[in-house]
Amino acid sequence: MSEVILTMEGIDKSFPGVHALDHVNLEIRKGEVHALMGENGAGKSTLMKVLTGIYTKDSGKIIYEGKEVEYGSPKEAQDAGIVIVHQELNMLGHLSVAQNIFIGREPKKGGLIDDSRMNTEAAKLFEQLKIKIDPKEKMNRLTVGKQQMCEIAKAISHDAKIIVFDEPTAALTETEIQELFKIIRDLRKKQMGIVYISHRMDEINVITDRVTVMRDGAYVGTLITKESTKSDIINMMVGRVIYEEPKTESAISEDAPVVLKVEHLNAGKMVRDVSFSLHKGEILGFSGLMGAGRTETARALFGADKKERGEIYINGQKIEINSPSDAVKHGIGYLSEDRKRFGIVTEKTVAENATLASLDNYLSGMFINKKKENEVTEEYVKQLKIKTPGVDQLVVNLSGGNQQKAVIAKWLIKDCDILIFDEPTRGIDVGAKSEIYHLMSTLAAEGKSIIMISSEMPEILRMSDRIMVMCEGKKTGEIGIEEATQEKIMHLATQRN
Amino acid sequence: MDTIKNNSFVKKVGFNRLVLCCVLVLLYIAFAILSPTFLSYSRILSALNYAYFLGFLAFGVTFVIATGGIDFSIGPVMFASALISGQLLTKSGFPVIVCLLVSICVGLLFGVLNGFLVAYGGLPSFITSMAIMQLAKGVGSVFTKTQSVSWPQEWYRNLVKMKIGNTQIPTGLIILLLVAVVLWAILSKTKAGRYILCIGSNKEAVRLSGVNVKKWEMLAYIICGTCAGIAAIFYVGAYTTVQPGLGDTFNNEAIAACVMGGTSMSGGLASVGGSFIGVMVIALLQEGILAMGFQKDYQYVITGIIVIIAVFADIRSRRKKN
Repeated sequence: MSEVILTMEGIDKSFPGVHALDHVNLEIRKGEVHALMGENGAGKSTLMKVLTGIYTKDSGKIIYEGKEVEYGSPKEAQDAGIVIVHQELNMLGHLSVAQNIFIGREPKKGGLIDDSRMNTEAAKLFEQLKIKIDPKEKMNRLTVGKQQMCEIAKAISHDAKIIVFDEPTAALTETEIQELFKIIRDLRKKQMGIVYISHRMDEINVITDRVTVMRDGAYVGTLITKESTKSDIINMMVGRVIYEEPKTESAISEDAPVVLKVEHLNAGKMVRDVSFSLHKGEILGFSGLMGAGRTETARALFGADKKERGEIYINGQKIEINSPSDAVKHGIGYLSEDRKRFGIVTEKTVAENATLASLDNYLSGMFINKKKENEVTEEYVKQLKIKTPGVDQLVVNLSGGNQQKAVIAKWLIKDCDILIFDEPTRGIDVGAKSEIYHLMSTLAAEGKSIIMISSEMPEILRMSDRIMVMCEGKKTGEIGIEEATQEKIMHLATQRN
Repeated sequence: MDTIKNNSFVKKVGFNRLVLCCVLVLLYIAFAILSPTFLSYSRILSALNYAYFLGFLAFGVTFVIATGGIDFSIGPVMFASALISGQLLTKSGFPVIVCLLVSICVGLLFGVLNGFLVAYGGLPSFITSMAIMQLAKGVGSVFTKTQSVSWPQEWYRNLVKMKIGNTQIPTGLIILLLVAVVLWAILSKTKAGRYILCIGSNKEAVRLSGVNVKKWEMLAYIICGTCAGIAAIFYVGAYTTVQPGLGDTFNNEAIAACVMGGTSMSGGLASVGGSFIGVMVIALLQEGILAMGFQKDYQYVITGIIVIIAVFADIRSRRKKN
């Protein structure tokens, strides 16, 4: 077995309200490709950010090449030979490949940048990696795959000894993925330590030597890839004890009517031929990993984004939705996952936000009937228990949970029958969370139909009557709550065909 | 300072606007001391002449800035309206009332074009309104074959100033105040005003609430253009002659008046009343500088400084809120 190059021991990191890393361990050997896996929010990126100096750890040790280290910035880590190839490439499109690789440390001759030497050095790097790229080519004329290889070249030009790949294959074609694997195998032969963060089980199987799994900020364990199965890994990823009571049976009857039917919804790469139905009084959970296409599906359905194809039926009747106003007219409401950017109008009051979707109902002739507006807002403030000194309070001054309730109030005041909640409890404290769960259950019991998009497994299992799982734009399966388990959901969430 | 800010009267009228009123009064006193002739009634009327057309321009652009946009075409559109309708009056013999209506319509049409390009075309208002500005200059000039137009003495002058017995009544001020009240009501009490302000604050949230944002955004530009058309009437009523190719300087002054009055450049926060007081300050400055014998260029310098101070104060108060 080869030598250990990096040990992260007992790494602990907390943010206000979140224990992001709880005594995490990671061991990387020379000449190894080590997968780092876990659900969204498990702590993988946080751990890597601690390693590369973006975050400072609260406690624990990082031992690199036998010495204890602590980096204060990505540059320091980079100079020491630890480099990350990010998911979102930070490339300067209008500059050439060579210029990008040597940005910040351009070879100079007599005070001016030595372009020819820069190009030759870049060519040498590509030779080392056995890739064919022209160093003089403008970066934005290369495919994403080739851009990524430039990032790798940039990494080894820093004399990297450890390269971390964060979801490297998300934007690549099959051929590009194979090319990437060739390079990775080559780097492995050169005794580099490679950390490979990915959700793609099939790739983990092919290219990695060991797998470390994290869950909810904690280290679960390390397996040898060849000796483990997909189920083993999934069990480690989700094998948590759920303290909240998961739902054991659907709240609606077998023959509940279908209120919404979506067929062959297509919108770009993220929504590929998605079809599903929603029953009256049902809570349909949309599960999947980040990037699975759930928000994109909801937005395409709601008319917020353009779609290429898709038939939508409400109560059996085909309807046209080409904009959010169409959707709202048909009684669909959408609570976006980004409350601050898409949910609330920050400079306005609770009352002004509450009637935004139904202002026509609160007019007297040409003017807004403030009295009626305040009355209805106060009614819902009471019903939803929104903590606010008054309906004339600026909504931005409310806490996250109460802001969320204010947005919910907007859709209830509009009297929507179909509600799409996108990550409804994100960024909300525990107390407010359970209030929102209770609210959703009450709404469903009153006959409203809910689609709930969530990346939190316990939440999905607690609230849904039925769960639809997506992976990379496709619907991979549907499970009734009676048969649902975390493992089954995760299998479907990582199923790429 | 905080006790003053938290006083309920202050909150109702607006701290910003009260400060501005104080500035207005102080400026007047300062000019009166520096130039004794300043206290005469005719001086006040002269200052008001500048305030009428500038006021309408400022009211209009208040709506555009409320949506988070900007309109650099207002001055030249006003001149184009005055040139085109003036040409019809002096060279084609159209009756005065028709020409006044034409002036308003020209402004409205430019507003429609501007609004369409920004709201439906998705073009940035900064560039679009500059293009419309050039277009307005060109259209005005082409229509009068590069000649300037002098509006004759006719009944419309009474809209600006009317002689009753021995005194001159500033009718323009009355009309300006009436229009200010109407526009204030639209902005703060109607659905249109609510949508316009919300769009300026968070357009996407409004769109996702099912509102047809394009329609309402365009309306703001239409209001702005129409106001420029109305402003033209008050310009020629006071100053008689309009020349093609000019008008940009009024853009900055109108926008400065808005920002001084509490309308925020980032949208969502607007005040017609504030713009009114801002226009009065600028009109007073204008008159005061002339009265002291300085050239108009000094006015530009001072307006420029005021804009910088006003925008700086606006951004600082936003940063504090966040």
